Amino acid sequence: MPRELGPSLNERQFFLQALKEEVRIDSRGFGDFRAIQLDFGDEYGVSDVRIGKTRVLTNITAEVTTPFPDRPFDGPFTITTSLSAMASPSFSGPPSETEVLLARLLEKTLRRSGALDTESLCLIAGRAVFSIRADVHVLSHDGNLTDAACLGVVAALRHFRRGDSEVKGEDVKVFTMAEREGVALSLLHYPLCVTFSFYEGEVVLVDATLSEEQMREGSCTIGMNKHGEVCQIAKLGGAPVDAVILLSCSNLALRHVERMSKVMEERLLEDAKRRYKGGIKAEPSSENARVP
Amino acid sequence: MAISAEPTVVLSHLHHTDGSATFSQDGYTVIGAVNGPIEVSRRDELPEEAVVEVTVRPAAGVGGTRERHLESILQATLRQVIFIHNFPRRLIQITLQVTSTPDNDSVGSKIVQASVNLPILPSLLQTSVLTLLSASIPLAMTLTSILLAVTPDGILRSPTIKEIQGANSVHVLAFSSHGELLVAESDGIFTMDVWDDVHTVARRICCVETSANDSMQEDGLEEKAGGIMTFVKSVLQEKVNQDLNWKK
Repeated sequence: MPRELGPSLNERQFFLQALKEEVRIDSRGFGDFRAIQLDFGDEYGVSDVRIGKTRVLTNITAEVTTPFPDRPFDGPFTITTSLSAMASPSFSGPPSETEVLLARLLEKTLRRSGALDTESLCLIAGRAVFSIRADVHVLSHDGNLTDAACLGVVAALRHFRRGDSEVKGEDVKVFTMAEREGVALSLLHYPLCVTFSFYEGEVVLVDATLSEEQMREGSCTIGMNKHGEVCQIAKLGGAPVDAVILLSCSNLALRHVERMSKVMEERLLEDAKRRYKGGIKAEPSSENARVP
Repeated sequence: MAISAEPTVVLSHLHHTDGSATFSQDGYTVIGAVNGPIEVSRRDELPEEAVVEVTVRPAAGVGGTRERHLESILQATLRQVIFIHNFPRRLIQITLQVTSTPDNDSVGSKIVQASVNLPILPSLLQTSVLTLLSASIPLAMTLTSILLAVTPDGILRSPTIKEIQGANSVHVLAFSSHGELLVAESDGIFTMDVWDDVHTVARRICCVETSANDSMQEDGLEEKAGGIMTFVKSVLQEKVNQDLNWKK
């Protein structure tokens, strides 16, 4: 299996010199994101996030299972990430460090911050719960996977509809989409990630591309929701960074999270409008239309 | 959502691979990517020909025996299609990511992991060939494939999930661009005569190139057939035109 090629010495020098002159290779500002495109599939719970050339596809599925014996009220929520040879030939084989870190960061941001209300997935305590599974497929890797994947999972969770259910005594019946409208998941807040890359001690870049990621000295991922509540900060090794810089990072993160939340909100609304059939539901009304 | 039987394809849309294609047909959508020829691990290397590695990944959950089975069919087929002798001690790595399968509103929301293997096989075959073409890997031929269900009412083209459940047998056939049979996978109970009929119908759909005028006159199966070969050719023609745009 081939090794991922890093940037050459010339590229590195050119890039660092450009940074000194406050220019980024793709002429973005240091604190700017690439264009974010968010699409939803025909099915519920499928989101497709594109940040520049990075593309992440997320698929949410629900299943009725028995809960873990030590947590009889909680529905399991698992996030699996898969980096296949599709993203880069070097990803074939055992899970790479990138993959493990991605899974770990998503776990920290979404699961441990309690974004999904797992107790609402309970049907019969200790017997039947909905288990929610998020499959994150990285289709194209051009840096900033964490932010893209996090946005993808949150958008897909908000888009997902599980089958409506009814509990009669000991029996659980889950209705199909044809029988009853699906039920949206209960999400308590929508945490999103923003990753910062550090160069030469003081230069901070947002939304680094793959080659920028390969040349960075350190990175920090901040997960927060649009109310500015920080869910997690991950600064895994790398060069030491001044505390003041980190503080300014979290302020910048809030701005980006607010913007991403807005994009997500707009796209969800558009999708809901596209799906709304109106007619069939409105028809069986017994109200007299002529009376105002 | 209405499922369109018309196949659609997007070529070369992933930037980090040598070739890629998204193909959708009958509610199945598959994204394919190919890397190659690249370095192969010492253990798998073949001294005189290229190794073809196919990975099929389901939309939800991890791949199991069903995916391994599909991979083995695909790998054996693609070894015939690719000029593997051109690349000794090299690897051609094909990744096929299933992104959507036809949803069935009237069954439970259990994760459906291709409970019957065969219906997805034509989409996988078609995607892998288009992906290889997008990567410009030398091929001995292209292929076209079709799923047919034999029901009491006759032979159905692109059957729905319900029709497959009610069918006596399901067949996947693939033909090379020279008109030779490449893949014949069947599931269910059928006689040799039935298979012969299936073969005739499949050959007509896969191999005959129909122009717009011809398909208007035909009825039944041919009505929406329009020749898969014609589709593959028109997709490629478009791609070549786009690639050679700089010359104009």
